[in-house]
Amino acid sequence: MDYDVLVVGSGIGGMESSIKLADMGYQVLLVEKEASVGGRMILLSKVFPTLDCASCISGPKMSTTINHPNIKTLAYSEVEQISRNADGRFNVRVREKAKFVDWAACTGCDVCQKECSVAVPDQFNAELAPRRAAYIAFPQAVPKKAVLDRAGTSPCIAACPAGIKAHGYVSLTRTGKYEEAFQLNLDATPLVGTLGRSCYAPCENGCTRGQVEGTVPIRMIKRFVADRHYAEADGPGVEAAAPTGKSVAIIGSGPAGVTAAWQLARQGHKVTIHEAKATAGGHLRHGIPAFRLPKDVVEADLANLDALGVEIICNSPVTDLQALKDSGYDAVIVATGASREAAWSVPGADGANVVSGLAFLKDAAASQADRLDGKRVVVVGGDVVAMNAARTALRLGASEATVVAEAAKPGALACNEVEYTEAAAEGVKVIFATAVAEIGAGSAATLRCVPASANAPAATEGEDGDSDETATDASAAPSAPASAVSSLEADVVISCPGLEVDETLFAELAGVGNKTRIAANRRSLQTKAKWLFAAGDAASGLSTITRAVGSGRRAAHMVDRFLAGKTLDGFELDSKLSTTKHREVLGRHNQITHRDPVTGQVSLVTKPTDFAEIEAPLTEDQAHTGSGACLDCGVCSECQECAKKCPAFAIDMSQRDKLTDVEVGAVVVSTGHKLFAADLKPEYGFGTYPNVITAMQMDRLLAPTRPFNTVLRPGDGKVPDRIAYISCTGSRDKTVGNPLCSKFCCMYSIKQNQLIMGALPLADVTMHYMDMRAAGKRYEEFYTQAQDMGAQYIKGRVAKITEEPNGDLLVRYEDIDNGGGIVEASYDLVVLAVGIQPNRDVEKLFGDTPLGLDEYYYVAEPSAELSPGQTNIPGVFVAGTSAGAKDIVDTILHAGAAVAQVAAHLEHHHFAAEEALV
Amino acid sequence: MSQVLRDPREVMREEMQMHAPILAAVADEPLTIPQIAEQLGAPASEVVYWVMGMRRYGFLAESKDADDDGFFTYAATGRQV
Repeated sequence: MDYDVLVVGSGIGGMESSIKLADMGYQVLLVEKEASVGGRMILLSKVFPTLDCASCISGPKMSTTINHPNIKTLAYSEVEQISRNADGRFNVRVREKAKFVDWAACTGCDVCQKECSVAVPDQFNAELAPRRAAYIAFPQAVPKKAVLDRAGTSPCIAACPAGIKAHGYVSLTRTGKYEEAFQLNLDATPLVGTLGRSCYAPCENGCTRGQVEGTVPIRMIKRFVADRHYAEADGPGVEAAAPTGKSVAIIGSGPAGVTAAWQLARQGHKVTIHEAKATAGGHLRHGIPAFRLPKDVVEADLANLDALGVEIICNSPVTDLQALKDSGYDAVIVATGASREAAWSVPGADGANVVSGLAFLKDAAASQADRLDGKRVVVVGGDVVAMNAARTALRLGASEATVVAEAAKPGALACNEVEYTEAAAEGVKVIFATAVAEIGAGSAATLRCVPASANAPAATEGEDGDSDETATDASAAPSAPASAVSSLEADVVISCPGLEVDETLFAELAGVGNKTRIAANRRSLQTKAKWLFAAGDAASGLSTITRAVGSGRRAAHMVDRFLAGKTLDGFELDSKLSTTKHREVLGRHNQITHRDPVTGQVSLVTKPTDFAEIEAPLTEDQAHTGSGACLDCGVCSECQECAKKCPAFAIDMSQRDKLTDVEVGAVVVSTGHKLFAADLKPEYGFGTYPNVITAMQMDRLLAPTRPFNTVLRPGDGKVPDRIAYISCTGSRDKTVGNPLCSKFCCMYSIKQNQLIMGALPLADVTMHYMDMRAAGKRYEEFYTQAQDMGAQYIKGRVAKITEEPNGDLLVRYEDIDNGGGIVEASYDLVVLAVGIQPNRDVEKLFGDTPLGLDEYYYVAEPSAELSPGQTNIPGVFVAGTSAGAKDIVDTILHAGAAVAQVAAHLEHHHFAAEEALV
Repeated sequence: MSQVLRDPREVMREEMQMHAPILAAVADEPLTIPQIAEQLGAPASEVVYWVMGMRRYGFLAESKDADDDGFFTYAATGRQV
C-alpha cells in the first residue's frame, strides 16, 4: 500500500484532515486540483466572528500541509478514479497536470506573469480582473510556483508545417511587441518577409475566428512585423551559439536550404550554401514574380544569414556529393528543390517561339526577359508556374495571355485557388480540359488542341502552391468535357509541363525514392550515406514554401543531432499538445462580439503594366485590430516570452500530464462546494448590471490581495457610498431548486458589512434579509456589533433591481418591519449573498461503487448523528461542505470527526502504509 | 451606463490590446476610469477590467486618494509595453 489515506481537496477541511491524520502517523496523499493548496478560505478577507485575517489562519495550515513529513501533496492534480478492492483498499488514479514549469527550479518571482501576452479571467479573484496565462495562483500561494494555462495547441500553430508559433506572434502583435513577434518567427526561419507574402496560410484555415465572422489575418500580421523590422532594425538581432567546430554544406539556397542553414548556424555550426545560380534564393528569387514577392524582401530575409556567418557561394554547382563531403564538411544537406521541368514531348515543342516557363520567369525576375508588346501568349500547363508566367507576360506587354490547362475546372488546377482567381482578374484567359497535341512552326504558331484525357494529371503537386491541400485531382472529375477550342494562334508559347526533382546529383550515392526524390528516411531525412541529409522538395517532392521551410528546420535539427552523436529517433521535433477544438474555444464564451474581419487589400487590374507588389501591407491599426480578434484558442499562445525572460530557466513546454496509480487504505472526500450562479436570479441583474456583484467578489475586494486598489464598483471604478446586500440569493429558494439554507451567508454578510464600514467610513450599508441566522458562538453579538456600527438591516425580500442611467441601482423591496410596504431605494453597489450548491464533480470519482448522495446531491452520511463523516462506502469518508453547508468552524469540526473515523477504520482493518511499518 | 455587458472573458482578453491606447490616454495626466473610457470610446465597465489588469502587472498606479466624486485617477508607472 502506498499511502494510508487519500485526501481529495485541500480546502480548510482537506488540510485539517490531512494534518491531523499525518500527526497521528498516517501517510497521507493530498490531491489538489489548483496550483496551490488552501481552497476558498485563503481567498477570503477575514473570518467571522473574530475578524481574524483568513490568511493568518490558513497560511500556517497551508505551509504545514506542504511541509509535513507524512503528507505528500500533489497540487495541480486531479483524482481521475477511485475503485475499491476486495480487501477493502482502494486503487486511485491521479492525473498530475502538466504545469509547463519546472517547479524545482521556479522561484515564484512572477516574471513570467509580467511577460505573458494572454489575459484571461482570474478565478482566484472571482473574475473581477484578468490574470495571465502564465500565472501564480495568488500571492500567498503554497507552493508559490507558476503554471502555464494551456488548453491544447492552438489550431493555427498545429496547422503550420513550418513549426511557426502563429498564435504567439499574433498575441505579441496585439500587445504591441512587434519586434518580439518578428523574433518568434525567426525561431523557425529567416524567411519572415517571404512567408508573410507567399505562404498560403494554413494557419488561417485552422483559425477559430474563421468560424465566427472571418479569420485573423495571420499571414498579413507576419508580413507587418517583418516589414516593420526591416524598416527599423539593422540585422536580425540573433546570436549564434558558440562555435562547435563542425561544418555543414547545404546544396541549394531555396527556402529549405536557407532555413536549414539558419538553424544550423544558430547552433554554432559553420554553414556553407552552394548555389548553382548566380544569385541566391532559388525559387523565391527566380520563380515567384516580384508583384507577388518583391526581390528586396527576399534579399532582406537572406541577409539574416549574413549575421550568423553563413556563407553562400553562388555559381557553385555541385556534381559530386562525396567529393564535397571530402573537401572538409561533416555533413551535407541536399536542398536542390524541384527545379527540373518535366519532359514535354509534343511535336513542335522545340520550336523557336516556345520557351520554358521556368526560364521565362527567371529572365523576367532578372529583368532580362524580352518585351512581349502586342504579342499573343499561350501558356501550356495549369500549375502556379503557368499562372505566374501568364501574369508576367501581361506585364511585359502581351496583348493576350491564354492558359491551356488539362484540368477540367478551376478547383482541379495544380495551383492554389488564389493564383487562378488573381490571374483571371488580371485578364488571363484559362481554357480548361484541353491538351495541346501539336505546335506548328512559324513566327505565329498554331497550337492544335484536343480534349484532355479523363485522367489528366493535376493537383497532386504544385510549385509553391498549396496544391495538395486545396486543389482537386482532375481524375476525380467524372469525365473531362470536350475541349472548348480546336486550335489557338500564338506568337509566344510558354511551356509549363510541371516540375520534378533532378535526381542526377544524388542517385548514385543515396538512391532514388518515390518518383525522382532522394531516398531518405521520412522522419530523420537521413539517407543511407549517414552524413547526407535531404530537405525540402528534394525529399518530399513538389510542395509549398512553408513545407519546405519546415523540412529545412527538420533536416537542420537532425543534422545537429547527428553531429552531436545523438540518436535521430525517440524524440519529437515539434512536440504539440492535442489541437484545441473550435467548439471548445467557442464554448468558453457566452457570446462573441462581431468584429469586421481585417483582410488584405489586393490591387488587381486588367492587363497590369508593372511589377509593383499587388498586395498592400496592413497598417499598424489594422495589424492591431486584426491580432485583437484572436480568441486565444490554446490559452497560452506559446509566444515564448516567459521562457526567454525566466531567470530560473524554469519554463518547460515539453511537460505532459502524468498518470499515477496508487493504493490507499482510506479516502477522505473534501471537495467542498460551489457557489450559486447568481445570474440564475435574473431579477437581481447579475451579469446584466456591472454594479451587481456577489459576496465572494466583495470578499476579494476587501482582501489585502484585492484585485482593485480598494472597494470600487466594477461599473466605473467609483468608490461606492451606498451598498446593499441581498441575502438568500440562491438559497432557501425553491424557484432555483435549492430550498436549503446555506448557513453562513448571514454571517459573512455581517462580516463584510463591518469590513466595509472600516474600509469606507462614509459608506452606508444596508442588508435586505429574510431571517437573520446567527446561531453560533458570539454570532449574535457579532450581528449586534454591526448594527452598532451603523449597518441597516431591513427584513423583507427584494423583488427586482433596475439600473439607473448613471449605473446606480434601484432596489424594489418589501419592508416588513415598517408596515410591509413596497419600497424603492437607490444604491451605488448591490452585493448578492449567494448560497452554496453541492460540488457534483465528486460523483465522477468513484467508478464501480457510486458514492451515495442525499436528495440535494451532497455526499450522504447514512448515520450523520452517530458516525459523522462516514459514507455509504466502507473506508470512504467526507469532510466539510462536501456533505452540506457548514461555516469554517463547523468544517474543521467535521474534518476532525472524519479523521477519527478514518483512524478507526485503518486500525480496525490493520491497514498501514508499508513505509510506516518499516 | 445601461449597455449590454459583453462576455468578461472577451473583454479581459482585450486588455493586452488596450495597453497602448490606455497608456497614451494617461500620458499627459492621470485620468479616472470614466475619463479614460471617454477617450477610448469604450464602456467604463470594460475599462475597469483593463485598468485593473494593467495596475496589477505594473503599468498603472492609482492616485493616493479618490476625488470628490469618488474616483481615483490612474497614471502610467513608466513600465513599457
